[in-house]
Amino acid sequence: MRKLFQLPLLLLALACGLSPAPAAAQVKLLNVSYDPTRELYQDCNGAFAKYWKAKAGQDVSVQQSHGGSGKQARSVIDGLEADVVTLALAYDVDAVANSGLIAKNWQTRLPNNSAPYTSTIVFLVRKGNPKQIKDWDDLVRPGIAVISPNPKTSGGARWNYLAAWGWAQKKYGTEAKAKDFVSRLYKNVPILDTGARGSTVTFVQRGIGDVLIAWENEALLAVRELGEKGAFQVVAPSSSILAEPPVAVVDKVANKHKTAAVAKAYLEYLYTPEGQEIAAKHFYRPRLAAVAQKYAQQFPQITLFTIDVFGGWTKAQKTHFDDGGVFDQIYGAGK
Amino acid sequence: MRYLTLSLGLAWLLAFLPAAAPAQEPPAQQTQDPQAQGQPGDPQTPQTTDQKIEELDQKIRVLDRKIELDKEAAAEKAKATGGVTADKNGFSIKSADGAYRLRVGGYVQFDSRFFLDDKQKPNIDTFTLRRVRPILEGTVAKIFDFRIMTDFGGGQTVLQDAYLEGRFNPAFRVRAGKFKPPVGLERLQSGADLLFVERSLPTNLVPNRDLGVQIAGDLAGGIASYQLGVFNGVVDGGIADADTNSEKDVAARLFFQPFIQAGGPLKSLGFGIAGTSGDQSGTAAAPGLPSYKSPGQVTVFSYRSDGTAANTTIASGSHVRIVPQAYLYSGPFGLLAEYASSRQDVTRGTVSRELDHRSWQAAASWVITGGVPTYRAVDPKVVFDPAAHTWGAWEIKVRYSKLDIDPATFPVFANPASAIRSESALAAGLNWYLNRNVRLLFDYERTKFDGGFTTGDREDEKIFFSRFQIQF
Repeated sequence: MRKLFQLPLLLLALACGLSPAPAAAQVKLLNVSYDPTRELYQDCNGAFAKYWKAKAGQDVSVQQSHGGSGKQARSVIDGLEADVVTLALAYDVDAVANSGLIAKNWQTRLPNNSAPYTSTIVFLVRKGNPKQIKDWDDLVRPGIAVISPNPKTSGGARWNYLAAWGWAQKKYGTEAKAKDFVSRLYKNVPILDTGARGSTVTFVQRGIGDVLIAWENEALLAVRELGEKGAFQVVAPSSSILAEPPVAVVDKVANKHKTAAVAKAYLEYLYTPEGQEIAAKHFYRPRLAAVAQKYAQQFPQITLFTIDVFGGWTKAQKTHFDDGGVFDQIYGAGK
Repeated sequence: MRYLTLSLGLAWLLAFLPAAAPAQEPPAQQTQDPQAQGQPGDPQTPQTTDQKIEELDQKIRVLDRKIELDKEAAAEKAKATGGVTADKNGFSIKSADGAYRLRVGGYVQFDSRFFLDDKQKPNIDTFTLRRVRPILEGTVAKIFDFRIMTDFGGGQTVLQDAYLEGRFNPAFRVRAGKFKPPVGLERLQSGADLLFVERSLPTNLVPNRDLGVQIAGDLAGGIASYQLGVFNGVVDGGIADADTNSEKDVAARLFFQPFIQAGGPLKSLGFGIAGTSGDQSGTAAAPGLPSYKSPGQVTVFSYRSDGTAANTTIASGSHVRIVPQAYLYSGPFGLLAEYASSRQDVTRGTVSRELDHRSWQAAASWVITGGVPTYRAVDPKVVFDPAAHTWGAWEIKVRYSKLDIDPATFPVFANPASAIRSESALAAGLNWYLNRNVRLLFDYERTKFDGGFTTGDREDEKIFFSRFQIQF
């Protein structure tokens, strides 16, 4: 036994001579995000890696996971080890916070309710707008096929639904009439994809439907980069909802991975002029006034209302999207 | 399928439409007002043929998309619900959350071994099942792994691996049971991943498998890794299921891959140092000392032993091994080198001495087509498929290795008329990786000996090896 502890010491001494110069280890982050942010975060991740290397001298690699926002939140709650979440709506981040993974005050930890960019809901139609779709009421005409994802799994779909509801309630004056309007709208939806990107595939690549209700950024991306040039065009409705996709560090995971500092810096980077430029280039509405002004031309002028019209996300979720809620009533009845 | 359905639908529509249907009017004659034009589904306005075709087309597209989404959902559900899989990595069963998993795999090696010009000490040319190793491994409760591997090669049954491992952190794993002590670089390669049919001469000096407890981990994203364990202690090249004394060996290894994160041509550069230290003592009945083999698996060195205490060399104290080691895999090329020193106290009768046997090897390989070499063998980019005119991966290789017995061994502790003083082996050959699971190896190896025969040197060993291996 006398030799038992001699060898490790000997090897340690030898290793000190052999080992390479200490190098800063690469940090890995996992960003669990919603469906249409793939391209945005591909660019952000590369830019942040350079930024962080210059600032902290540390290599960072950010991996991405995308899917319907509600589904992604569920995955994080069920054990997907996200260092940060960048989801479609605050309710989904709240769901993760309620599981204990994120501090309850997450929305106050970053500016603008932790939403570094905004978006809204618009229509994408085919070249020449053959069905002459101009506003929400055109979507309930007989024979119009509307493509929108499933509000049960997609954050974007919930924004779509509430945008339609908010427009109808203002136009027709009562909740009952708004419910009837939304009910007729979903009768025109032949397919419910699980996420916004799936709906874009349905409309753009599979050639299904007359109109896609979409995130503004997703619609503008489709016009610029998907399909043949000029194959699609964006139609801005008379009013829509201000979507504020929030971001948050998943505290328990980041602490476990020892990535809390870099995860926080990653989200803060989204608020910098560089981060805001990247967001604008991917058709998200920037918060920073100077950048917003620079890119103002690419965003249509739309009257926007907020989630407060519905009493906040918790109430909207309970009323409309929880099991047995209004959506279940109208979609179950409609189908 | 969609087009067939659409064609049938169109044929049906055309057969029943009136001859003067509005569809036959030129589009220019139709109104530009979409409301007046009549929308599909609007019961008040008759549809044109174009509208009906469009409607039918949309219905088919919707059905196709629903099928597509159903398949995606089913695939996702299957992924989430676990189940049974069979692929190039073997056969496995896992629970929905992946916390419980069982994998059945294994490998079989069918070798030929033909000696040339073996006049002085004729050897037997033979076909042999070198390794027949079913493997059962799995995971319980997410972080606890187990592995059981037996070997039926050569008609014998040997328990090779039987251990449990807790993966508490990438930097901290605990393993207990029977497994390879972390010493020899080539020994730590799986028997299924070897570059040559037989391992090189330094493997004679390092432990094969032993019982013990080990902690291990990867640091800084794999730039450094460590292993440190306490084992029963086995003789050089040895494998045992029980100890013969109360002393224990400690084994440790530090290994560095400085460019594993950065990438580039040096990404697969690894180097490190390993060793063991302990006390071993033997008896005339169980001397606790090894014998060493030639590449042809012929015993060419052994200590004196006649069963009596006076004339049998036995282990009698300290046994220390030091094994620096390195590899580099870059592009189609691979290099592997290691050095081994085994210093051991021995006694015969009243004479005691520390003996230091040394060995080293350097091996180079070049995948000339269709694959990338790694420490864990070649991963063929294309598989053998004559119909597609693809032939898998081909690799050529060369190796030199040498073993020097401490001169102080002779004549007291070993008989120079039967035990060699040194051997040096030069090997070259060709490997053909048909796919991840099947490979053929062809080697020629010539080994020169110093001493080991009554009249001087043992004759050279010239040997052709071949191997047919299937792994799953």
